Amino acid sequence: MLRIEHLTKTFGDKVAVDDLSLHIAPGEIYGFIGHNGAGKTTTLKSVVGIQSFDAGEIFVNGLSVRTDPLGCKRALAYIPDNPDLYEFMTGSRYLNFIADIFGVSADERTARIRDYAARFELTDSLNQPISAYSHGMKQKLAIIAAWLHEPRLVIMDEPFVGLDPKAAFLLKAMMRELCDRGGAIFFSTHVLEVAEKLCDKVAIIKQGRLIRSGTMDEVRGDESLEEVFLELEAE
Amino acid sequence: MVRILLKKQLMEIFRSYFYDTRRNKARSRLSTAMYIALFALLMFGFLGGSFGSMAMSLCAPLVSVGAAWLYFVLFSLIALLLGVFGSVFSTYTGLYLAKDNDLLFSLPIPPGAILCARLLGVYLMGLLYTSVVIVPAVAVYLLNAPFSVGALLGSLLLIFLLSVIVLLLSCLLGWVVAKVSLRLKNKSFVTVLLSLGFLALYYVGYFRAMNWVEGLIANAAQISASLRSRAAALYVFGRMGEGDGLSMLLCTLVVGVLFVLVWLLLSKSFFAVATATGPVKAARGGYSRVRRKSPDAALLAKEFGRLGSSANYILNCALGAMLLPVAGVALLLRGSALVGALNGVFGSLKGAVCVLLCVMLCSVSSMIDTAAASVSLEGKNIWLPRSLPVRPWQVLRAKLRVQLLLAMPALLFASLCAAVVLRADALETLALVLQPQSFALFFAHLGLWLDLRRGNLAWTNELAPIKQSLTILIILLGGFAAAALPALGFLLLAPPLPGSVWMLLFALAGFLGALLLRLALRRRGETLFMEL
Repeated sequence: MLRIEHLTKTFGDKVAVDDLSLHIAPGEIYGFIGHNGAGKTTTLKSVVGIQSFDAGEIFVNGLSVRTDPLGCKRALAYIPDNPDLYEFMTGSRYLNFIADIFGVSADERTARIRDYAARFELTDSLNQPISAYSHGMKQKLAIIAAWLHEPRLVIMDEPFVGLDPKAAFLLKAMMRELCDRGGAIFFSTHVLEVAEKLCDKVAIIKQGRLIRSGTMDEVRGDESLEEVFLELEAE
Repeated sequence: MVRILLKKQLMEIFRSYFYDTRRNKARSRLSTAMYIALFALLMFGFLGGSFGSMAMSLCAPLVSVGAAWLYFVLFSLIALLLGVFGSVFSTYTGLYLAKDNDLLFSLPIPPGAILCARLLGVYLMGLLYTSVVIVPAVAVYLLNAPFSVGALLGSLLLIFLLSVIVLLLSCLLGWVVAKVSLRLKNKSFVTVLLSLGFLALYYVGYFRAMNWVEGLIANAAQISASLRSRAAALYVFGRMGEGDGLSMLLCTLVVGVLFVLVWLLLSKSFFAVATATGPVKAARGGYSRVRRKSPDAALLAKEFGRLGSSANYILNCALGAMLLPVAGVALLLRGSALVGALNGVFGSLKGAVCVLLCVMLCSVSSMIDTAAASVSLEGKNIWLPRSLPVRPWQVLRAKLRVQLLLAMPALLFASLCAAVVLRADALETLALVLQPQSFALFFAHLGLWLDLRRGNLAWTNELAPIKQSLTILIILLGGFAAAALPALGFLLLAPPLPGSVWMLLFALAGFLGALLLRLALRRRGETLFMEL
């Protein structure tokens, strides 16, 4: 579903991502862990096609992000670390805007928006301007917008920040649901317990380099993910 | 504390002059100096020049009859009107609606310090508008009147106090706008309506002022004597400009007291107003089914939504769209007198009136420059259009279309009105229609291109891209200058061509320029958009 081959990205003299390779298969929830500034967001933005990279290749569903960015974007959805949405729109208008861009039919979008809004308890707020939303409400709206076109791959940067426990639980269920249908999830998180329970595979990045990746059992062995992460960070 | 905030405020206002956001590094000193020189040239060379020429016609007659005080009062009032009009509606946004409100209020900073720093932004904006009028007026006075240190000090003090009065009035009106806005549902609409009313008053005053000025020059001595006895406060204010010590002291005291009073009013209510959320519609209903739009239509609707959500954006970048139909109707009603007068002056040059009408239409359409701020206005939302499955060109084209849809139909209407009034032949009608259209096309593309080259996504107050950016200034004043260019060329060179053919040549140049810019936008614009 997602193949990252030798991805390298520099900002001036600083190497943000250094020769990183990762493969994510359909059905996998893949966690991406690293300290602040390790290169997680840069990697995710490169995958989504909103940041150019210096070397390497990224394939989404077999399509190259370099040569067919639109094809890739149609297959995926992205939720950034901060849900900066169009505050001048209402929730409904924003969701319709996203649905229009992805070409979701009127019937399908109506059914999905009603379903997801009810699940996230956002139905009554849909007609309010986004500027009146709390951080958590914006995050819920961003999640609904991401799921609206039934993406094959969802890329998320710290998706659980700002969500209440119920919404966080719901998101985890939706992530699993999507993967069970043959989709894939690639997300960054600092909450190692969540990664440990939720992810099929995990990758740890340090100073732009991938230092460990694989199934949860391969990465952590007999230890907890937190212990492994802290040991690797200390090295 | 205040110093740190002031530094941050100044950095935000002048960031684009010192920092190249595209290359992510500081500009060279030469580049910074060039930007500042360009800004000064546009503001003081263009606007200042027109007020300077007015000052030159008034100064000598008034000084010669001992009414220099009246000269200062007159220009102070014009400066006051321009300063307050230029900054009143942005004051509300500048003082209360900055995006860093939450951050600053969460820090151990007294709200008064935040207010003080924000006032600096308002003050600088008022100072800029005021200076455009009063600085040339003072310069003309110092050149015409006998030199004295007192007069120099007095006129400098007058400039300073006038800018403070503009600040006080803007703040008071901004405070009223804030209070009213919190109770309104359609803030943008009401603000635009109020502004248009203000603008109409300004123009009525401006056009009547021409008659007043003529009367003033003819009867300077009597008017001066009459006003002096009836409006002592104005007399004292005007005398300050002449360097009268007592007047300087009195004016300073009065402005000082007013400043303290306004400060008390603003500082007491600042936190409450800045953190007020206003009415939120009661939660009701859920999602209603809507018709599906194409991606291009959705992008266009989004751009119009952005425009409609901000009174500042409408007033600063789409005013021309409202003025053009008014100009068209005004031409139909009163145009024959105008055309007659122009024919009387320029009748010897065939088609000169057609050229001048084109200039008028293009000048008004220069006040439509939404595209020049549209990329910067994406701000932190830039990730959205970049991550969606649409070509960057589609996003840019939607921004262009907003400006073109605002400008071109309104221009067409006004052009046809002008053609009717002029009783234009086929060639003149063609020129009246095509030249303004090509002008609108060219400047829409140029504005978008410049905003892509000089985009500022890191603003905390939308006024930065809408009102304070060099891009907007270049497009607005450059538009005025470019609009006047064909007329200057025609009147000075007197080419062996009818005015209509002359304007059709400019139309061709405009279309070619727009085409070249469109090609550049398609080739380079996409990359620039993704790399901003």
